[in-house]
Amino acid sequence: MLIIDHERCTLCKLCIRSCPFGAFFVEEDLLKVNESCTLCGTCTNVCRFNALTIERKLASSEELAKYKGVMVWIELDDAAALPKTKKVSLELLGKGRQLADDLGEELIAVVLTDSEEVDLPSLGYFGADRVILCRHDLLRTYSTDGFTSVLCAVISSNKPAVVLYGATPHGRDLAPRVAARLKLGLTADCTALEIDDQRQLVQTRPAFGGNIMASIITPYNRPQTSTVRPNVFPIPLRNENHQAVIEIFSVTLNKAAIRTRVVEKNYIEEGCEESIENARVLVAAGRGCQKASNLELLRTLACQLGGGLAGSRAVVEQGWIPHTQQVGQSGTTVGPDLYIAAGISGAIQHQVGMSSSKTIIAINKDPEAAIFKLADLGVVGDAIEILPRLSKLIDNQ
Amino acid sequence: MHEIISHPLPQTDFSKIKCIEGFDRIRSEYSAYLCDESKLTPKPFNFLFFPKNEPELSTILGEMQRRKVHVTIAGARTGLVGGCVPADGALISLELFDQVQEIYYHTDCHEWRVRAQTSVSLKSLETMLRFKQFTSFDQSTDTLVKQNFAQFKEDPDHYFYPPDPTEMSASLGGSVVTNASGARTYRYGPTRSWVRGLRVCLANGEYLDIPRGKYFASPSGQFVVWNSKCEACNVTIPDYAQPKTKSTAGLFAAPQMDLVDLFIGSEGILGIITSVEVALLKKEEKVSIIQFLDSDEQAVQLTMALRAEKRLQLDFLEFYSGNALNLLRNLQKTEPSTVGMPAIPENAKSAIFIEMSFNPHADHLDFSILEGVVSSCGADLARSWAGYESRELDRFKVFRHMVPETINSILAERKKQYPGIHKLGTDMAVPDEHLETMWALYQSRCDALGLEWAAFGHIGNNHIHVNIMPRNMEELEKGMQLYAEFAKKTVEFGGAVSAEHGIGKIKSHFLPLMFTPAQIQQMRSVKQALDPQGLLNPNDIFSAEVYP
Amino acid sequence: MKIVVCIKQVPEVTNVQVDPETGTLIREGVKSILNPFCEYALDHAVRLKQEFEDVSISVITMGPPQAKDALLRCLELGADDGILVTDRKFAGADSWVTALTLAEAIRFTVPDYDLILVGKQAIDGDTAQVGPEIAEILSLPQITYGIEVGLSSSKKQVRVKQEVERGYEVVKATLPALVTCSKGEVVRRAPSFEEVLTARKKPIRSVTADDLGIPVEELGLKGSFTQVVKVFPPPEKKCGKLLQNLEPDQAAVEIFNYLKDKRFIE
Repeated sequence: MLIIDHERCTLCKLCIRSCPFGAFFVEEDLLKVNESCTLCGTCTNVCRFNALTIERKLASSEELAKYKGVMVWIELDDAAALPKTKKVSLELLGKGRQLADDLGEELIAVVLTDSEEVDLPSLGYFGADRVILCRHDLLRTYSTDGFTSVLCAVISSNKPAVVLYGATPHGRDLAPRVAARLKLGLTADCTALEIDDQRQLVQTRPAFGGNIMASIITPYNRPQTSTVRPNVFPIPLRNENHQAVIEIFSVTLNKAAIRTRVVEKNYIEEGCEESIENARVLVAAGRGCQKASNLELLRTLACQLGGGLAGSRAVVEQGWIPHTQQVGQSGTTVGPDLYIAAGISGAIQHQVGMSSSKTIIAINKDPEAAIFKLADLGVVGDAIEILPRLSKLIDNQ
Repeated sequence: MHEIISHPLPQTDFSKIKCIEGFDRIRSEYSAYLCDESKLTPKPFNFLFFPKNEPELSTILGEMQRRKVHVTIAGARTGLVGGCVPADGALISLELFDQVQEIYYHTDCHEWRVRAQTSVSLKSLETMLRFKQFTSFDQSTDTLVKQNFAQFKEDPDHYFYPPDPTEMSASLGGSVVTNASGARTYRYGPTRSWVRGLRVCLANGEYLDIPRGKYFASPSGQFVVWNSKCEACNVTIPDYAQPKTKSTAGLFAAPQMDLVDLFIGSEGILGIITSVEVALLKKEEKVSIIQFLDSDEQAVQLTMALRAEKRLQLDFLEFYSGNALNLLRNLQKTEPSTVGMPAIPENAKSAIFIEMSFNPHADHLDFSILEGVVSSCGADLARSWAGYESRELDRFKVFRHMVPETINSILAERKKQYPGIHKLGTDMAVPDEHLETMWALYQSRCDALGLEWAAFGHIGNNHIHVNIMPRNMEELEKGMQLYAEFAKKTVEFGGAVSAEHGIGKIKSHFLPLMFTPAQIQQMRSVKQALDPQGLLNPNDIFSAEVYP
Repeated sequence: MKIVVCIKQVPEVTNVQVDPETGTLIREGVKSILNPFCEYALDHAVRLKQEFEDVSISVITMGPPQAKDALLRCLELGADDGILVTDRKFAGADSWVTALTLAEAIRFTVPDYDLILVGKQAIDGDTAQVGPEIAEILSLPQITYGIEVGLSSSKKQVRVKQEVERGYEVVKATLPALVTCSKGEVVRRAPSFEEVLTARKKPIRSVTADDLGIPVEELGLKGSFTQVVKVFPPPEKKCGKLLQNLEPDQAAVEIFNYLKDKRFIE
């Protein structure tokens, strides 16, 4: 329940303006709240005088059972001309569908956008039963404050049992913020999700750089929330017979509530490479490539194979390639058809990011390199010697 | 006791031993075995053996003896003087001798010891000790081995094997047979100081078990080795004295010496080491400090001052000359990340690199003695880099290796234009009192000839690697003459011309500088007594021509 | 101008080994280090301190008493004072309780902070959650994945170049704010030995559960929303073919044939 400290309240009305549910009103010079309050927490955050607090009790099992359904935040690729659903969101719809079926509940897709062009029916084709559309001009591009506020409102009024986010930079920015506001448990970077016999979500994730796996539950409150790495779950089959109900969620958002402002954008031109997350072929560089200029050899091969260049954390930290091309625990998880690891020793942190590649070829001077344990084909040798020769062979044919 | 008995080994079926026959096949499928880190041009040889155990090794030796085929022994092939590059005949790779056999506490000597087969690498030994994980013990059926290991695991302290010859992929046996040393030799001495026992397979196929402290040369300088057929072999040890510096030139000799010391540093010409017992030391936390200085002379002064202050116990005391720092600066400009360190301060004209014990958790740290010595030489600890966490120590270690690597890559580039060019790197040590003069000589002579050069290395042991980088064939010629001049001066000062790399095949011409023909003949006699047919490691230390 | 840097001491995970029988970590011989991303956060703070005169840097960590070592490292690298939030009652905290505890500790020790910097994630847990959660609890604007952190000349605004999926964006926010940090463009400093020695004379204060006034049942394991129910080693992957001792030409041919075989080359 929302507690208002009238001693502290100055009636500045900022909370009234920011409440997504219009739950505040002033009566006899006192701030009051009505039953439309969902405890979404937006107001406690905007109040400058700490006059608003939310008291949350540990919920009983009956209380927990009131939360139903699996919700997926649909992340849009806002850099594209037309807003396009990110691949990871489709993967989550597939997994979310399974979880919802196991619970016998609905799958809800939530879309935050300013656009009228989002292909909402497709979300149904990929498994959603219901699509909640939150449309507002201020949702054109991602902002922590704007998205947190709207998503908290959606969650607190819909009470899902599970909320899933893609573990993308935005997903990892948004999910903890929402979790902290609603006081929810959150498990990051899950690689497996299942429902146990007590209808709880069991979330499995790598820890200690992938050296061990941990299974985690959130027993005391709902919804249970997780972020999931891209390329871990498959994209479900598109089924045009599965149609979703589309629901508009009215959004209250004012500009002052968004406290960060993007003043400059500098996107990397990727040439013949697409983003590594979606690449079919990746040639990845490790420390064994010795110097930045050698990476051209890898790039040549990547282009020949119709793929992109990627690299280990070491190579990114050396500044040889941008972070957008980093594979591994602190970079991107990839799942190409072919992954060629050149001079990568294969620390477990790297393996976490690429082990779901379908075919792995590793070249390394050290026959003991861990990468060879994953490789379908391992070659002990110097990648910088071997790869140009391989490129030549491909050229000649 | 100066008499020892060798024991026979069971013989196995020679045809079942893994062997690659024919140079063409060896060259195409096993090219890595053709050479070591010396990059010596390989010569053809006909057999490559991979024995699994001592009986197989003994059987190979017997068969090669019958066929009059020379045998060269290879460990991890990390040597710099071509010791395991065959001159002809057969190469025996001991790589399958890779088990750690025992770890136990020696109650009389109050020390932990490890017994291991010859090809266990220093790196894997280090890892096993660090994690106290030895898979071979878990699988062992020997209850005593298991019991001792359990005791080791329970010991709250951690232990390490002190010799650190930089190249950690080297094999334990290889490091013993070359008496490897490195930066830490400054405090802990060379490998010799840590060997507590050896098992050696002789050219006759029999083995000796030699614990340290049991077999000593007789007052007249004799050892007698009895074989299992009761035939005696008399070994007379040379009568020369060791230089007062570290040295890996020629066989070790001293009055009433321990037999174990004869084999340590013998470069494999007297017998094949199959198993080694070494002592461990309790691990302490360390701090690495790179102290930047105003001149190379100041570095020499600081070295002498640090050495003179007996209350300071440094693990190592290393040197970068001003021109070595310049090489690194240039590298930082083009490839800052490979250096992995902040920019070297502009005003640094030389540097000393030390490591010492350091407890980062101590409430009170007193380094006033160090501060005193450093400031007495006009240096300032604020102009230093320090690190003590293990990853920091690793980072500093990488930085230490960066100079020789940079020099190698510069020369590789020059080789493209002048294929005959190579680097000239000295490996000479002189006694303490000659450090200043020797450094002045290095510096003035290199500069006088207008050569490009850089110096680094173990200044604490007066063992500086002066690296000359010839830019053309004329400079190469000048450099070689200078090298010989340095070697001559070193011997004059009572130093060693090969302080840590050994003689092998590429430095045998230096031996006559340090030893008289009579002394070299004494070494040959030792070889002749233990290996009358000249079967083992031909051309190492001295050439094989004298053997039939 | 007060900057608070939240840091974490972590095991050096590159060396972590797992006991194959119990599936738990072998702690033996594993060193604890300052989480590298926290060190980057400190790097950004030190840069600001070099640029603006009156900046002071407080580093704060929650952990067992030996987490003091990580604070010491920060003091060597240029922080002015350390805060060690340590109490047995904090043990077992998940990211939410960690954030709650740290946020309260910051309010308690440096109530007049201007900027909070944290690492983008810790290499042991890799959750990347504590930073944004602290920001939420303290009602601060947050900017994640910062690689350059600058201040406006009036020191009222922070300007952050952040990594985003397609490249970089520059984001501004009014102080106080929280920034999670990735590696900046500076090469890491090495402290001088003098700095190593003087760091040990800088103040480190301890904060306990009693200081924070959070009810015990909201702390540590008790207050955590998530619960670990099982820990196990990751599944082993099958080994493929390993080719050794090939000349580069041969190796290239082998790979070429393999790619052809698998139809990656037509």
